Parts: sequence; C-alpha cells; structure tokens
Amino acid sequence: MLTINVNGKQHAVQSAPSTPLLYVLRNEMDVTSPQFGCGLAQCGACSVLVDGKEVRACVTPVSLAAGKEVTTIEGLTARWAKQKNLPAAAAEKALHPVQEAWIEQQVPLCGFCQNGMMIKATELLETNPKPTDAEIKAAFTTSGPSAHLCRCGSYIAVMDAVRHASALMTKMGSAT
Amino acid sequence: MSASETSGIITVHGAELNRRGVLAAGGMLLVGFAIATGGDAQAAGTTINPKLSGSWLEIRPDNKVLIRTGKCDFGQSSIYTAYRQIVAEELDLPFEAVTTVVTGDTDHTPDGGGTFDLLGGGTPNLRKVAAYTREALLELASQRLGVARDKLTIDDGIVSGGGKHVSYGELVKDQNFKLTIPVKGELTSIFGLVVEGNPPLKPVGDYKVVGKSFKNSVVVSKVMAKETWVTDVKLPGMLHARTIHPKTLGSTLVSAGQLDKSKFPGAQVVVKGNLVAVVSPSEWEAVQASRQVAAATQWSDWKGLPGSSGLFDHLRKNVDWKAVPVNRSKPSSGDVPTAMASAVKKHSASYEMPYLKHAPIGPTMALADVRPDGSVTLHSRTQNPQALRGQIALMMGIPVQKVVIRTYSGAGHYGRSNGGNAGAEDEAVLLSKELGKPVRVQWMRAEDMQWSTQSSAAYSNIGVGLDASGKIIAYEADHFMPAMQDDRPIGAVLAGLPTMAAPSEKAKDLYTTANSISDDWVYDVVPNLDERAQGTWQIGQRESPLNVGLRNHSMRTPGQFQQNFPRELAISETAALAGADPLQFRIDHAKAERLKSLLERLREESGWETRPSPNRQATSGDLLKGQGVSVMLRAGSYWACACKIALAPSTGQITVEKITMAVDPGIVVNPLQLKRQVEGGTMMGVSEALYEEVAFDEGAVTVQDWRSYPILKMADIPEVKIVLVHRPEVGSYGQGSEGANALAAPAIAAAVFDATGKPARRLPLKPAYIMGLLKA
Repeated sequence: MLTINVNGKQHAVQSAPSTPLLYVLRNEMDVTSPQFGCGLAQCGACSVLVDGKEVRACVTPVSLAAGKEVTTIEGLTARWAKQKNLPAAAAEKALHPVQEAWIEQQVPLCGFCQNGMMIKATELLETNPKPTDAEIKAAFTTSGPSAHLCRCGSYIAVMDAVRHASALMTKMGSAT
Repeated sequence: MSASETSGIITVHGAELNRRGVLAAGGMLLVGFAIATGGDAQAAGTTINPKLSGSWLEIRPDNKVLIRTGKCDFGQSSIYTAYRQIVAEELDLPFEAVTTVVTGDTDHTPDGGGTFDLLGGGTPNLRKVAAYTREALLELASQRLGVARDKLTIDDGIVSGGGKHVSYGELVKDQNFKLTIPVKGELTSIFGLVVEGNPPLKPVGDYKVVGKSFKNSVVVSKVMAKETWVTDVKLPGMLHARTIHPKTLGSTLVSAGQLDKSKFPGAQVVVKGNLVAVVSPSEWEAVQASRQVAAATQWSDWKGLPGSSGLFDHLRKNVDWKAVPVNRSKPSSGDVPTAMASAVKKHSASYEMPYLKHAPIGPTMALADVRPDGSVTLHSRTQNPQALRGQIALMMGIPVQKVVIRTYSGAGHYGRSNGGNAGAEDEAVLLSKELGKPVRVQWMRAEDMQWSTQSSAAYSNIGVGLDASGKIIAYEADHFMPAMQDDRPIGAVLAGLPTMAAPSEKAKDLYTTANSISDDWVYDVVPNLDERAQGTWQIGQRESPLNVGLRNHSMRTPGQFQQNFPRELAISETAALAGADPLQFRIDHAKAERLKSLLERLREESGWETRPSPNRQATSGDLLKGQGVSVMLRAGSYWACACKIALAPSTGQITVEKITMAVDPGIVVNPLQLKRQVEGGTMMGVSEALYEEVAFDEGAVTVQDWRSYPILKMADIPEVKIVLVHRPEVGSYGQGSEGANALAAPAIAAAVFDATGKPARRLPLKPAYIMGLLKA
C-alpha cells in the first residue's frame, strides 16, 4: 500500500494510486485547505507543496507524492518551526510569516483561492526571500502550470502580504 | 416622554419591553420581533426556540454581545466588521464587546433577504435593533437607579446618572426581559424582513467605533485553515454526485448512458427527467464514472440561440422589445426632440455589453440530507438562505418549516445566489430524496461555466446634443436588456419539478421582463433628458423545449454596469466633440457638490492631464498613451475613476498602467476593509473590461474553463490608488463592496479613445477588436 507524508505524518493511502492527491487529502485525511477549483490545473486553489515545490493537487496522482513530503496550510506553522529550529513551546505559538502577513494585510475577501496563494508565497519566499515586485508577479502568474486566479481581485493585497512576509522573515532571520 | 407603561409592558419608541420574571441564573436581554403583517414570515416560524431564535442580539451579564443576521459573508467582511461596529456604536460599547456573530442559517437567525446592500441604505436591521435595545436599557436603568432617563449617560456599556451607575450586564443579570420590535416583509422573499419604526439613532458626531479600522475576525480562521468551508462538510453515509446536464440549452434526454460497472463498481446512475447524475461513495469514482456515462448519454439536438458572434444583430433585429412597457428614469424631463433639433453638434452611437460569468473560483456545491419524514437539511453556500428554503420547499411540495438551510464559507459568486440558489442545491436535494442518503453535489468547472446563470448582455443607443457654448442641452438613451433575474433552480427545471415561473411580462419586481433605469443620473445641469429602458425575455428561453435559455442573474452592479458603460463613454466622446477636458466637462454638468469635489480630488490624486481628447501627443515609443475618466452614483455613494493606459498599435494589446478610484460613500465605516473591497472591485472591473465574454453557439454556452473564459492575472494588474472620502455630514453609510467593478470599463474605453481617436464601444476590449478599430 502507498504511503505519503503529509504535514509530518505518515499516512497509508486507501485510494487507488491514480487518484488525484486532492481527493486523498480532503476525503481520506481531512486535510481540507486545498480546495477544488477547476480540476484542470488552471487556477491554483488546490495547491500544496511537495518537497517544497508547489504542485496542483487536483491533477497530481497520489502515487507521485509517495516518499515525498507534502505540506499544506495546516502544516505551515510546523514547517516554519522546523526551519527555524524553534523550541517546542515557541513552535506552538509561532505563526508562519506568510500566515501572519496574510492576517495583518487582511488579504482574503471570500478567501477561496487563498490556500493556493499562501502556498505559492511560501514556495517563492523559501527560494527567494526578497523578491522584487516583478518576481512576485511572475511567481503568481507564469511560474506554475497556470496563473493563480482570484475572482475577488485580491492581487494587490497578496502582493502587499508577500512583501510583508518577506520583511518578517528577514527580521526573524537576523534575530536568530 | 418616549416610554409608557401599561400592565407590565413598557413601550419604548414603538418597541414593547416585557419583564417576564426572574431567571434562576444567567439572564440576557432577548430582542425578539413581532410580525407586523403576518403572512409568510409567521408561517416560516423562525421563532422555533423563543429564547434564542428570533433574537437579533443578546446582551450577556458580562456586557458581551452576540448578534445574529440572516445575511451571509461573501467576502464583503461587513457582517464581521461593519455590523459589529454599528451595533457597538448604537449601544455605546467598544468593538470588542460584540464577541459573537451568528450568520445565515434559516433556523438560527431572525431575518432573511439577499446578501446585498449590507449597510441597508444606511440603516441595516441590526442598527435599528441596537438602537431599540439601547432605549430599553436606558429605561431599565432609569427604573433601577431611580434617575430620570434624560439625566442618564452611557459610556462603554455603563449607564450613569445622579452619582450612581449600573452596567448593561447588571441590568439583565438574572432577569428575563423580552423586547418586541416591529418588523415587516416576507421572510423567504429576496428582500427578507425589515425592521420598522424610528428609534433614536446615535448622532454621527458622537461616533467612536464607526469610522475606525478593525480587522475581520473570519480572516484568521481562513488563513489558519480552521474555517469550515461548505466543501468540508461531511455526513455519515453520504454519496458524492456529479450531475450531467443536457448537450444544449434545449436538448431533451434520449437515453442515459450505460454505466460500466466493471470499471466503476461502486457507482450508480440516477435519471430525473432531463437531469442525469452519477453517484458513488468515492468522489473520484463519481468523477470518472460521470465522464464515462456522459460520453454515452444521448440528447436531442436543438438550435435556438443566435450565437455570440451574431448576438447584437439578433438583439437589434429579431427581438421583441415591445411586449413590456418602456420604463423612463425619474429625472427624465424637458423636451428632448426640440432641444436635439436645435443642437449645434450631436453625438449619436450604439454600445454593446456581452454576457459575463459570475465565475466563482469554486464551482457550486451543496450537500443535502432528506429524511424519511420528508424534512430537508441542506448544507450550502448561498447569499439568501431563507429564499433558498422557499425554493426547496416549493420543489419538494413541503412546508418551509420542514427545510433547514445551513450556510458556510465558500467561493464568492457576486450576486449569483442572492435570490436563493447558486446551482447545486436543488440537485443535491432531489438526489438525496431519490437515494435515501445524504448526497453531495459538486459541479465541475465546465458545468459551472455552462449551466450557471450569467450577467445579461445589453446594448444601448445614446444621443447627446451640444449647444454653441459646448454645453449639453439634450441627452437621450435607450437601454435594451433581456430579463435580468432568473431564480429558478436549474435541477428542478430539468427534472420537471415545481419552481417559480421564468421571468415574464406578467411577473413583478425583479422577475419582470421589463427593464428599468439602474444608473442614477448625475449630470443635473442638462435641461432635457430622456432615459428609456426596454426589456424582453431571456434569449432562447421560450424557444427551448426545456424552457431554459441563456439564464440571467444579477451580478455586481446589476443593470447599472450595462447602463453606465454606454453613458460614461458617450459623455467622454461628447466632451471631445465639445473640445473640452472630459473630467472638467463632467464637473461642469454636475450640480451635486459631493460629485464635483470628488472629481476635483480625483484630478489631483490621479495626475490627470487637463486637456481634450484625443491626445495629440499620444505616441510614446511604440506605444500609444491615453487617459480616461468615469463616474457613477450608486445607493448614495459617489464613485469616480481615472485610468492611464498604453496601447500597442501593432497588436491591439492594452496595458492598464494606473487606476485611481475615488469613492465618497458618506460615512466610511471601516477604512481598512473598504480599501480592500474597492481594490478588489477595481480589479474585477479591469478584468471585465479587457477579457470577459461568454461565448455560445446556436445551442449551448461554449466557454468551459479558465482558458476559454480568462480573467485578470496578477502580472496584468495596474498600479492602483484608492481614495476614500469620509463625509460624516452625509449621515449615512453608503455602499463599498459593490460598485467599483463598474467604473473601469468606461474609463479604459475612454482612454482607448484618447490614445487612438477611435471609440471602443463594445466590451471586452480584446486585441483583435482594437486592431479592427485601428484599421477602420
């Protein structure tokens, strides 16, 4: 039987190996932050990190995640704590800078696309901690299988929040 | 004297305060409601539990407050921010005292109505309820302290006077009061219930909470993956369904496809009239099996649509606009024909607006549980749960009391469900009834593009006459648009179950095929005005054997979007005809001081170049540069927009470089939230202007995904500047979450005209269309 690691936990997959990761996460594991938006890798609502890289869970067979680390929004805080080697007590209270920035900047309107937006922001900032505006736009538009779409038009807020998260990470990075 | 006492009941500004004895412990002020007109609201029985249901707000012994509203948050944030602020303000409490907001559910909240106009023309229901409550609390405090009402003051929920004080919490602790307030309306109608009467409202000059920025509490749970979205709800034994809709908008079922049981052993096909569904305990099996069954399903052929390329020809030549009366705007007056005959210069043109999709990022989804006793619980994402309740009861032939609608966070859909359903709800119910199990219906992306309602296409003919001084002496407009609001649940229609009627010439209010003027006139200097609105049936509906055509539904700034684009672009073109700067031309034709000063502010904030269009120095390298302006008045809020564009003449590609959006809503309740709302609406407006159009052939909608129906992407956003004008002296809250989307299209089209000298009178402003204009 296939086993995948989601947010640090091993999980034996009941579904067939060709089942998209999205349905396994949502229906088998109750990991519900990735949303069904199109089933076509055209919008980004279902995004997750697989070994730190953003993938579209709606078209990714669960078998491709076997032996790899899957991170969703539910696991962002722990991911940050691990990256920063935070002690257990601090780790429990720690917000991932992306989440903190998303709250501070009041990004979500309806919020349905924001799972993918935060996943993309995390991927971007882990590889490029101080992105320019052009790099942020490119990350959310051309870096993946499709642009990350927001119908409410939160793009300005997303850019504000990526810059905010970048500043937070820089500040926290220099403090440790 | 505003209060009087007879037999234990105190009347406070038309509300009745009834002391019902002493509670053993706890205690709260229950603000219930009486139904002034009886009828449907009474029958629906929202006061199932008189201690909780039917209550709008509760004051707890610790001075904390719970509020309930039948509205649902669709990303406007107002329910979690503005409503808290408004209630806290009227009760003289800090924002943080309003700790709990209960929304949406039919049996947990008092009022219905669509989630639109959340600030209720400046006095949403909860504001009045809070004001009534404050008066009752003052009355109770007066009795408790033995101090006359007019000697009492309130600060942070403490009533003081005569050297004594008592908190709200102390007043209600261990007591059981019931405050009865007047309410009218029909609970399950699109407008729901309205709180009546005129309790004294707090003077705006005394505001402490309204006007300040507060964060939206629901943002935290969404960002931290703690929110329960509608998509997350599961019930034991539930089946996943995918519904298969007809091949065209008029095709009937010939034969449902055979399910390949060897490949999909857990799946099952259900046929209800012209609706086919595939269900399975496994979602992925349901998806795959539905594809196999859909491919094998046979439908009759049907052709009854003009095709999107022939749409406007069809609307002009073939459509009957005479079956319903022409509606004129209220300010229409004077003698347009005579004035037009005397005009020195005339502008006359026709403008075209395509069908648009609400296009939520998540396709519609609902989970229904129909029990053997016929009761229905529906887990949904709707802007109007009480109206949905009525629709489901009608479809099932059961009383509304047997239907409970639960609502959750989900994808925004910008008006699509303000009359009840968004698409999947009725299908989930009829399948659950058929199968005797909870059924979760999730539409796929193509279903949502092709079988949901849409914002109606429209066209307008505008004529403007100028006198010798370059002033408008006559303005006339004919706005043509098919019926705008079809709230029939589509699954019920296809299954042949009872629904409300399709929009018709006989129907009233929103459901009439008559059109009306939705774009408030702002050029009050114009002496001769005639604005006419003409309507007709939805395209293809009466020709379709299914009674389904291109179904329309209100979408952000409904009707007004379709009328404001032609008006504002025509005004910009007329300014050019007059040799005038289009922004100053607007100021010169306005009387309202709020609009004039908003435009002056816009001129400063946007870096506007004062000059006539077209731009004589438009070329900048290989690009043509242009600027455009537009204005709108909606629900008491003034809007003004300026944009700067660059246009590549070799490709027809438009880049919107900068947009400045200024809004004067009267009182800005929450600047932080309003700014985000206006930013978002502005982005949607750019998207609608540049990219969006529903393509269809002779039988069906052909857009099916985000490639065939593209929307704005982050790389294409302009520099955006939002200007919020706070005008407390206006005295009411205007509208912010809706409106911004309408202004971009006329401003961008005016900028195209400025850059090229060619009027772009048809949306969207796609490169091929612009190239055609440049070559003409």
